[in-house]
Amino acid sequence: MKFGIFYELSVPRPFGGGIEKTVYDNALEQIRVADEVGFDTVWAVEHHFLEEYSHCSAPELFLTAAAMCTSRIRVGHGAVVCVPEMNHPVRVAERAAVLDILSGGRLEFGTARSSTWTELAGFEADPDTTKKTWDEFVRTIPGMWMEERFSHDGVCFSMPERAVLPKPVQDPHPPMWVTVTSPGTELDAAERGLGSLGVATASFEEQERRLTEYRRRIRNCDPVGGAVNDQVATLNFLYCDPDIDEAARLGVPMLGAFNVANAHLLFTREAYPTRAYGLLANLAPGRRGRRAKEDNPGARAGIPEGMAIGDPHHLVRVMKEWESLGVDQVNFLLNAMEMIPQEQVLASLRLFAAEVMPQFRREAA
Amino acid sequence: MLSGATPLETLVPDAPEIRAFDIEPVALPDVEILQWSFEVAAGEVTELYPPALHPTLPPMAMIVAWSAPDSPWGAFELAQVRLSCRSGARPRGFLVGAVIDNAAAGGALAEHWGLRARVGRVAVERYYDAARVEVALDGDTILAVRGDDPDPLQPNDIQLFAAMHAARTPAGLRLVQFDPTWELTRAERYAPVLEAFDADGWGQPRLEPNYPVVAFGARANGTLPRLRFATRPDVNAFEGAETLG
Repeated sequence: MKFGIFYELSVPRPFGGGIEKTVYDNALEQIRVADEVGFDTVWAVEHHFLEEYSHCSAPELFLTAAAMCTSRIRVGHGAVVCVPEMNHPVRVAERAAVLDILSGGRLEFGTARSSTWTELAGFEADPDTTKKTWDEFVRTIPGMWMEERFSHDGVCFSMPERAVLPKPVQDPHPPMWVTVTSPGTELDAAERGLGSLGVATASFEEQERRLTEYRRRIRNCDPVGGAVNDQVATLNFLYCDPDIDEAARLGVPMLGAFNVANAHLLFTREAYPTRAYGLLANLAPGRRGRRAKEDNPGARAGIPEGMAIGDPHHLVRVMKEWESLGVDQVNFLLNAMEMIPQEQVLASLRLFAAEVMPQFRREAA
Repeated sequence: MLSGATPLETLVPDAPEIRAFDIEPVALPDVEILQWSFEVAAGEVTELYPPALHPTLPPMAMIVAWSAPDSPWGAFELAQVRLSCRSGARPRGFLVGAVIDNAAAGGALAEHWGLRARVGRVAVERYYDAARVEVALDGDTILAVRGDDPDPLQPNDIQLFAAMHAARTPAGLRLVQFDPTWELTRAERYAPVLEAFDADGWGQPRLEPNYPVVAFGARANGTLPRLRFATRPDVNAFEGAETLG
């Protein structure tokens, strides 16, 4: 099983005093350590206007910096928003190819369509059409990379024949993924031969159900690109400490802060009734797939199952359970709102790499 | 998270009194529901909420209108203005003001659910090609909204959220959670048009709807259940939520 780290780049208020630079600097230091100790991938989201929750609006720049200060770890767009009002598909293909070149062929290319009203309305994008535009992006971008010259007559964009340059280093192109928030998107991924990049994890039971159907469908997929990516990744939190109580003391509030920030996003379905968005909100990490009971506003969520918060022994057990479901990669959020001091985040990374990862690498070897 | 910055007693100096919570649920059959949403300027947004609530970003003004043909107090038409927010982590609407055309119904809604509504003229109209709500107090129009080009939806595409009402309870001034249950039988979406909005008339002069989001309509059978939860207005819901009864 592979392990990645995942960045929303959340920034606590107040925003002055250099806090955004601190968040970015801390993240880059974490990435350098993750590269040294053996993590496989660093992912970064693309979000816009999401105060506190995510200040990661230019992930291609952040990931370029990450690639320049590392030598081994793969860099993952997790993911590019495939909505034409936000990103023209040619620009997406160009930027991704440059990042693949600069990173020496280490790019993982994730695609998404944005799930908040805050973002879609900020670019005056139509929520009804984002699934269609995402589909058009993922069906055309591989051609821009693989064909010497490319033309397209489509719905969300058209272009006469042009050479889209440069071409990526990886042959035929970087592995392609789609972020999975709403149940059912993993099926869209499977049918197109795309990896399933979970960004709002489900419970063990829900993940197993989704995985089974994903595996079944991708065997008969009609790939949109030159290669099928049949990997499934899921999102988790990481805080590893030799003392399980200390791990909970720091890790659980971090998870809680992220969940509250997530719940405060103005999701598309809440603001704008549409059949194009099936969920009222993200499934908070680890929650079951059913709709949360809308009752007591004072209720806290507690620790969901499957979270990587604990001592190494506990984390080995939890990761074994994810592995047994057939998950190929677990990606970790390391911090939220800078609640955990940087030195402890780095210590957690190193401890996980030293005592948990080998349990999985040895078997693979 | 941003939190409200204005004491609830300042925002709602005329909060109604709820003496008891043990009432039987009230059925509201065949209610025509119309709702408009407009983003509002976020500059001083925290001033529009009490400390217990967190504004959404962007904040939205939600205009909620009901035409209820049958209730224990007779037919009534009701228009409310709410502000989108979170109570704890839950999506809610903070009641800014309301107008109702039936004084008996208005009295009951205030007494049992803390829904304070002034008596005025409320016209809730749905046509085959549009929907419209107009509200007037003392002869002055304080709201006119229109929805054009109806687009049918599935009833489960519509989400109706609980509201938070200021009320004086035996425990003191509280935000009570008003959570009707609705069984929707028809739904459609409209293009929203704001024809007139008098912020002073709604009791919140700083409220400026400035960007249309959506309008939708639905036919529903509703139930007004007894109140189950309240929160202290001065602290967030994780600290201040209370179970009633």
